[in-house]
Amino acid sequence: MTEKVPSTARLLVRNFAGNLTGMFGLLVIFLIITSAIFAEEISGYNPNLMDGMSTSLSPSTDHLMGTDQLGRDVFSRVLYGGRNSILIGITASFLGNLIGTVLGAIAGYLGGRIDTVLIRVSELFMTFPQLVLVLIFVTIMGQGVSNVIIIFAITGWMTTLRLVRSEFLSLREEAFVEADRAFGFSKKRIIFRHLLPNTMSPIVVAFTINIAIYIIAEAGLSFLGLGVPVTTPTWGNLLSAAQAPVVVEQYWWLWVFPAVAIIAFVTGVNFVGDGLRDVLDPRQRTNAKNKTFLATLREKLFGSRKQTIE
Amino acid sequence: MVPMALAISAIIFFASRLSPIDPLYSLISPDAASDPTNLAILRERLGFNDPIFVQYFNWLFEIFKGNFGYSIQSGQPISEILALRMPATLELVLAALIISTTLSLLIGLVAGANRGGLTDKLSRVLAAIGISVPDFFIGLALLNVMAYRASLFPTGQRISPGQVTFMERLPHLVLPVATLSIAMLAVLIRYTRNSVLDTINRDFVKTARSKGLPEWKVMWSHVFRNSLGPVMVLIAFRLPLLVGGAVLVEAVFQWPGIGKTIVEAVTVSDYPVIMVVSLLIAVAILFASFLVDIAKSILDPRVRLGATIE
Repeated sequence: MTEKVPSTARLLVRNFAGNLTGMFGLLVIFLIITSAIFAEEISGYNPNLMDGMSTSLSPSTDHLMGTDQLGRDVFSRVLYGGRNSILIGITASFLGNLIGTVLGAIAGYLGGRIDTVLIRVSELFMTFPQLVLVLIFVTIMGQGVSNVIIIFAITGWMTTLRLVRSEFLSLREEAFVEADRAFGFSKKRIIFRHLLPNTMSPIVVAFTINIAIYIIAEAGLSFLGLGVPVTTPTWGNLLSAAQAPVVVEQYWWLWVFPAVAIIAFVTGVNFVGDGLRDVLDPRQRTNAKNKTFLATLREKLFGSRKQTIE
Repeated sequence: MVPMALAISAIIFFASRLSPIDPLYSLISPDAASDPTNLAILRERLGFNDPIFVQYFNWLFEIFKGNFGYSIQSGQPISEILALRMPATLELVLAALIISTTLSLLIGLVAGANRGGLTDKLSRVLAAIGISVPDFFIGLALLNVMAYRASLFPTGQRISPGQVTFMERLPHLVLPVATLSIAMLAVLIRYTRNSVLDTINRDFVKTARSKGLPEWKVMWSHVFRNSLGPVMVLIAFRLPLLVGGAVLVEAVFQWPGIGKTIVEAVTVSDYPVIMVVSLLIAVAILFASFLVDIAKSILDPRVRLGATIE
């Protein structure tokens, strides 16, 4: 533990720094998160300040992204909305992965009946289109930031479970696990201290890519008016302004800019996720020789996307 | 398939009982619910004082008999709502499925066959869009440009007053179908392309070429046919959309389909409707996976052979 970990970490950082698309994605994410944190200073407007004198203005130097029908500055609302959307994406992805990892570890290591039950349950969850599943939970639990996070977490742990489980299935036959057992280590210790660190790479990648998926899911849910209550600005809530035909027709800046923010952030996250996969998990690298960076990245992104959304 | 359907129906039933709303209202028409003594009698007669498992089986039995219950919101029988909304969804999803499948098979085949060519590059761009752009944003953009600015198509709904025949209301269908098709294209093109690329490098393709077969024949009857397998799976798992509708696209275009029904039901916590619709979707998905197995055995004789030997 003392010597090896820092050097591995340094190696990973160096490898990632050499990954152009990954670094580009990181830059985009960094820019968006920083501007979301310093939303007040950057936009110069209070996101909730209604200015009756300047309603529905198109973008100008005063209001970079225009104002909404209540005279609120859209740029500042996009920045503030980013705070919540990103928070939801990251927290939900973390929780979902946590559930998936713990259950996957148990299923993969213990096997037997527990494994069968967990796999069946995950199949049950995967049967439903994610949005419909989320909607069902929204009916039961109601709306709100924390509810949305919890709902995303309990509807999005299945791929991680399968991922971790299959890693565990192969790892548990390794000699070092046999040695662990011979030492008389407890199952808990073998699972969480010895096996889990070896499966971290795919988990980290799944965590990253799920952030992108959840941010898009939040946008969809809030667009329908069923996600976060409208009083909290999120990218999805800003987009839901476009439920009104007049907004779609005349006030394009109300929905184009939040969408651009989503697209930029999600693209950034996906790039990072794939850069991470290249660095952390060389086995999953496809034959990248003849393809451009972008093509390779997208190919992999696509692979991980189709399992969750659809 | 059958045990899975039963498990799902049980989950849907018990989940709905977690809700704060009295399920009695889901089985009777609202007229009968106004009188409290009446209500108490009905509660006893409809079996709401029975053990919950008995209630579950009764509910399931009623569903099998075709009695889906009543909507809390409108008091309409759910079967009537479905009959009203289903055609809209079928029309939208079927058109989009046909268009997106045809196009993506063609584009994917060309892209895979001419790797690195123009079509291949275009398909990569499409895939990138499909991953990070929310589906409904495509719809909003199309609405703004094609319907409002260019006035080429109506701005929503399935039909305008005075229109009777299918041809008259066809323009209503164009934008929603286009949105849904674009949303479905990206992933499928990518998938087809990769599948074609996988097949093209196999030995039997080389054999076919060395036999001197014309290239189109090699592509058509050797490469394309054999790369269809994985693609069929993806297509089959989209069939349940026919029942479940495209929630977000229907919302953008105010399309009166099942997707919109789900959203409306969730908005007002109309449990009976949500229960029935989600059950339908689940059954559709199970049926689709059944179809996948059949399709696989048709496309790949080895699967069929394996099955008969067993």
